[in-house]
Amino acid sequence: MKTMTRGLQWSLFLRSLTMQGSWNHQRMQNLGLLWTVLSWLRRTRRDVNRDRIICRRYYGFFNTNPYLANFLFGGLIRLENDQEAGLEVPPGVIGTFRDSVGRALASLGDQLFWLGLRPTLIMAICLFGLMGQIFTVLVVIGIFTVGQLLLRWVALRKGYDLGMDIVDLLFDPRWHTWIGRMKRAGMVLTGMVAGLYLAQVAEFGVTSDRNLLWIGTVLGMGLPLILRKRLPGELLIVAALFLALVLTFAI
Amino acid sequence: MALWVPVALVSDPTLSSLLVLGLLAGILALDDTALAQTWFGQPLPAAVLTGYLCGDPLTGLAVGLPLQLVLAGNLPIGQTFTGDSTSATIAAVAGAILGGRHLPPVLVGNSEGTWQLLGWVILGAGLLSLLGHLLIQGERRANGIWMLEGLRSLRDGRLGRIERLHIRCLLTTFLRGFSSGILFILLMIRVWMPLFPHLPPTLQTALGTLPLLLPGLGVGTMIERYGLKSSWPWVAAGMICTFLVAHYVV
Repeated sequence: MKTMTRGLQWSLFLRSLTMQGSWNHQRMQNLGLLWTVLSWLRRTRRDVNRDRIICRRYYGFFNTNPYLANFLFGGLIRLENDQEAGLEVPPGVIGTFRDSVGRALASLGDQLFWLGLRPTLIMAICLFGLMGQIFTVLVVIGIFTVGQLLLRWVALRKGYDLGMDIVDLLFDPRWHTWIGRMKRAGMVLTGMVAGLYLAQVAEFGVTSDRNLLWIGTVLGMGLPLILRKRLPGELLIVAALFLALVLTFAI
Repeated sequence: MALWVPVALVSDPTLSSLLVLGLLAGILALDDTALAQTWFGQPLPAAVLTGYLCGDPLTGLAVGLPLQLVLAGNLPIGQTFTGDSTSATIAAVAGAILGGRHLPPVLVGNSEGTWQLLGWVILGAGLLSLLGHLLIQGERRANGIWMLEGLRSLRDGRLGRIERLHIRCLLTTFLRGFSSGILFILLMIRVWMPLFPHLPPTLQTALGTLPLLLPGLGVGTMIERYGLKSSWPWVAAGMICTFLVAHYVV
């Protein structure tokens, strides 16, 4: 097996950071995928026909999770290298591998990052914000940044080493253990934010109308549960203004 | 309040300060989707960064925290709405500070007198984010057109075209963030903030309630996201413990 050089790993890593830079509605991350793969292609024996075939292979619809994508990129480069070295890679396998692993990583990433880690981290920084720890907000995001960059770096090497065996990694039950833990941590942090906010409402000086404070807080928490519609936050602000107007007239 | 306040890099709405803030907006617009996705572009970190840059991180916190909570449910899955909360947040914080206002967070000290203006600034940020949504959609449509241009490389094998197209998309995102950031700041300073004294008193009173409603709305949105049935024991445990500690111990 041909090893991945440090130079190629750096190049793939840096390019993979921008894989969503050309996101489009038709084929999503296809241009970003090809842009990443080009750093490998540029380092190999060049031939116009071969370049055309490889461009064609990577220009179809493609969508995956950006934080986990490097597992796939590493695996793809490994398969391409194997094919270059004359090892048997059945026709169509690279495309199937790209699509199936890409979809699996997208689904895993949705659960782990978008529904697990992101709400948890957001609630954590909101908690620090409520406590007045302004600089800590940036520190928490900084720690996440370093962590996710490390994950991307390691994933590239791991993906390359595993090749097709990435599939086994996806079946690892620890992913789901971590997703469960992340979500529970997010729920507890959401409760902590609510608890601290309610404590601040209770503590606040009596110069304002206390009833308005309490009714507003409880109505605010209850509204999304009553509506049961996932409105964008921007529309919730407008809805909150109408609610505030109603409260102003009512109290 | 634990604060580390640096010397303000920008303190008045001059061309150079607008350029610095536009640069921040451009970089964070890239970070939002196109580059690395570090989440520094989320409303609270973006607001705090803008606050530090303008020398008033407390105003950044006051604007960013309710925005972050109410926008916490905006996750990039299962919805087509994107919004441009990053540029909108930067504009709201910079517009308030460069317009000579200091906005402490709600429920802190003697902040009550500024709640109405804070509500107005937050409402402005929400509307600007809606406006930014249109710009982002335009940018993505342009990416689609350029992506189709790349199909020519599938015929002639010219890799340079693919690289140029991708870099063009990245530059477009930066320029979108940079220009919308500056435009939104100018809108805040020249139009939105001067409008506030002319608002009807009833609306001003309602705006004073707005920052108080948003944290609750954010928490409610998250509970709804997690599912009330499965999340309530964890949420309740966190809420009760924190309330008791904050109210009776601290």
